This record gives sequence, structure tokens and C-alpha cells, in this order.
Amino acid sequence: MTEIVQMVQGVLLIAGCVFFAIGTLGLFRFSETLTRIHALTKVDNLGLGFVVLALLPGMPSLASGMKVVLIWLVALVASATSAHLIARAVRSQERGRSAGSEHHD
Amino acid sequence: MSTVITILSRMILLLLVWWAFTEGDRSGIGFGLVIVILASFISLRLFPPGTARVRPLPFLLFMLFFIGRSVVAGIDVARRLLSPSLPVNPGYLTFYLSLPEGSPCWLLANTMSLMPGTLSVSLDGTRLDLHCLDTRDPVEADLKAVEQKIARVFGLSLHDGAWRAGGNE
Repeated sequence: MTEIVQMVQGVLLIAGCVFFAIGTLGLFRFSETLTRIHALTKVDNLGLGFVVLALLPGMPSLASGMKVVLIWLVALVASATSAHLIARAVRSQERGRSAGSEHHD
Repeated sequence: MSTVITILSRMILLLLVWWAFTEGDRSGIGFGLVIVILASFISLRLFPPGTARVRPLPFLLFMLFFIGRSVVAGIDVARRLLSPSLPVNPGYLTFYLSLPEGSPCWLLANTMSLMPGTLSVSLDGTRLDLHCLDTRDPVEADLKAVEQKIARVFGLSLHDGAWRAGGNE
């Protein structure tokens, strides 16, 4: 039984790492800031989700399991918020440029 | 009365978070209680109890829906990234939401950032600008579905969903 659990944990950990790698690949393959953010937020969240799922069966108590889930939730909120902030900054910069006004960075 | 319920439910939520932080260790509970009380009062200043109240059961269903959709989102972007032709068609779309301003709209904007192919750019009142990975995707239908679900979380009824104001690009 424990062997099966360990195998599932291993598969989930590998899946998580693969998704993190794909998310990083997005930084290189996509050319615009916003499409890169799409790759980083969504794919990395999934990667972290798999890693958290893999760690859950090995947790010594319910509280520490919740702590790991909490890490995932806070990372989700943080990535959604930072993605939104970067997107807003990019948008306002683009608007400034298209309006023809000069902007100093 | 509703303020008392809000404070109590926030304190219970924060206590649960403290319990998870300390991994169930009871020795720091006194310190934890002080922090929980302080944090609840600060949260009251930052997010005053509004008319919109979160309902537990629809919220749980929403979380399940959200997790499912965010898995789809991750796989969707990964699939696009790994295919040699890189099938993306990025652009902006603007929508007007029928949800009330405040936390419902904010929850929708943050959810859309983690949904397949969309990223919230700016939220101004009920006007939401989305950046889409592929503007040919059925973004509007997606947004309407999420809007309906969020309306249920807050116990609201929506007659018509978000309508599109015409995107540029």
C-alpha cells in the first residue's frame, strides 16, 4: 500500500516539475509580456498544485496538510494579483505610447 | 448584528489559519489569539462588511469549479506552448459586468486571471478589460458562466450576464 502511495507521489512530483519547466519555456517561446504572464501564472499554478498534492499523503498531521494547501492558495492569490498588476502597467504604458505622448521610464 | 457575525466568522477563519501555521501546536495559542483579534479588526477597516455575503456551500462548489478550470487553463497554455506552430492570437477584449461593484467584481477579475486563456488587465467599476491568449476562444461564454457562479456565491440573481463592449485589436 505504501509503495503505491509513494509511486503516485513520485508521479505527481514529476508532473509538477514538468509543468514548472513548461511554464519557464513560455518565457522563451512567447514574445510579449502579457502572453508570457499567461504561461507563468497558469502553468506554474498547476505545477505547484501537483507538488502540493504529492506532498499531502506524507504530512504528519491534518494541520500541516492544511498549511501546505494554504501555501498553494496564497500562491494562487499572489500570482493572480501580481499578474493583474503587471498587465495593468503594460496596458497603461501601451496606451501612453499610442496616444503619442512622451513617457519617461 | 451582521457586523458581529462578520467579526466572528473572520476570527474563526483566522484561527484556522493560525492552527495550520503552527501545525496544531497549542503552546502559541495565546499569542495567536492576540494576532487573530488584531487581524480581524484590521480586516474590518480594510474590508468593511458589505451587503454581499459569501455563502459557504455555493463557495465550496465554486472552488471545485475553479480548481477544475485552472487545471484546464494550465494544460491549455502548456499545449499551446508545446505545439511547434505556437497557436496564439492575443488581444484585448472589454466587457461590462452585471455583478455589483466591490468584492463580487474583484473575485471575478481574479478568477478570470486563472481561467483558460484570459488575464484581467483592469477593473474599473464594472468595466473589465481582459487580455486573451486567443481572441477566437469563446471568452464571452466563459465569462458569463463564471459570473453566474459568482452571483450564486454571493446569493444574487443575474438576469443577463456580462455584455461585450467590443474589443480592440
